[in-house]
Amino acid sequence: MTVDRKQIIDTMSKLQVRGNEDGLIPAFGVLVNQLPAGVWNNFADLLVNSVSADLVEPAELLLVNAAHECGYHTGYGIITSEEWKAGVRPLMDEPTPENVLHGAFAVFTAWGWGRTSIEELVPKEKMVVRAYDYYEADVVQQGSIARPAAYMIRGVSAAFMELAYGPAYPNGCRTYECVQTKGIECGDDYGEFVVTRAG
Amino acid sequence: MSQTKFEDPRHRFDRRSCRHTLDGTTAVLHCHHYATLYCQLADDAEFADGRALLRRSAELAFHPVLSKLLADRGLSELGDRIAAVEEYFRFCGLGRLRFEQLGPTSAVARMERSHVDEGWIKKWGNREKPVNFIGQGYLAAAIAAVHSLAPASFKVTETESIVAGAKSSRFHAVRA
Repeated sequence: MTVDRKQIIDTMSKLQVRGNEDGLIPAFGVLVNQLPAGVWNNFADLLVNSVSADLVEPAELLLVNAAHECGYHTGYGIITSEEWKAGVRPLMDEPTPENVLHGAFAVFTAWGWGRTSIEELVPKEKMVVRAYDYYEADVVQQGSIARPAAYMIRGVSAAFMELAYGPAYPNGCRTYECVQTKGIECGDDYGEFVVTRAG
Repeated sequence: MSQTKFEDPRHRFDRRSCRHTLDGTTAVLHCHHYATLYCQLADDAEFADGRALLRRSAELAFHPVLSKLLADRGLSELGDRIAAVEEYFRFCGLGRLRFEQLGPTSAVARMERSHVDEGWIKKWGNREKPVNFIGQGYLAAAIAAVHSLAPASFKVTETESIVAGAKSSRFHAVRA
């Protein structure tokens, strides 16, 4: 496996991102937006803290599902885009599923979602992702919370595994699932995300 | 009208944390899938008044950003302040926004292009009711910031929507 992660992050983080004359940012086969992280964090935090105790987990799952579906479609858009072919593909030796996964998490990092890397990978079976400095941890500014809150990383990590090992797009969504086992927002040094086949 | 050319927010990518900031605030790239899925989630989450939560989330996130933008650039003329919040909307990819009228207690704005509406149509097609809760929150924040008021100073209602087939979306704001 050879993926020049550092170079991918360097290249992809430098892409000029600003709305065109119409205020739109078409790229990677999608419309991109560049918003304060607080827009997403506020909604997730307000939602899970506004519902009764019995609805907390369902609310969390709705947030994870939104990210999961987004990660599946956007992830596919990314790895089939001209930007990927020009900026990422030349930085890996072969486009194996494992290399594509490592490349996808490098792009994930470059987009500012969190400094993520794959710590363990059993092809088709299991992936463990570690994340530092991810924006979803910003919901806690002091102290810690009992339940991890990185819903976006959970959903997107499962989606990336599906794109690497699931049935061909668009038939692979929801074939993997992810649980967050550690979180900066919970007082841990980093976030940890374990992806396995959906039960 | 604006006499001052809009200066883009200062972008910085921190190589250590791999975070992007715009004028010092953490910013992230997402796409229309994520934005519309959040809007759909908010629309479905009636048990928590999800639509209001997403409007409020956007307003609370944008208000300090826009207030800082106006302060840092020293914009004191009303026309310049309005132009700056219109331009910021365009800069961050949310669409093309234009105020038709703005006064101390009310405002009307048009969105001629809309990331959320066009993203929704791309993903699911048209629908009758508005979905741009992020845009509504942005406008509430923008109008308050232009007037140097606190968040929640204006209530914004979307009266026409691109997602419902209108040529542009129209928003009516009144002082809360």
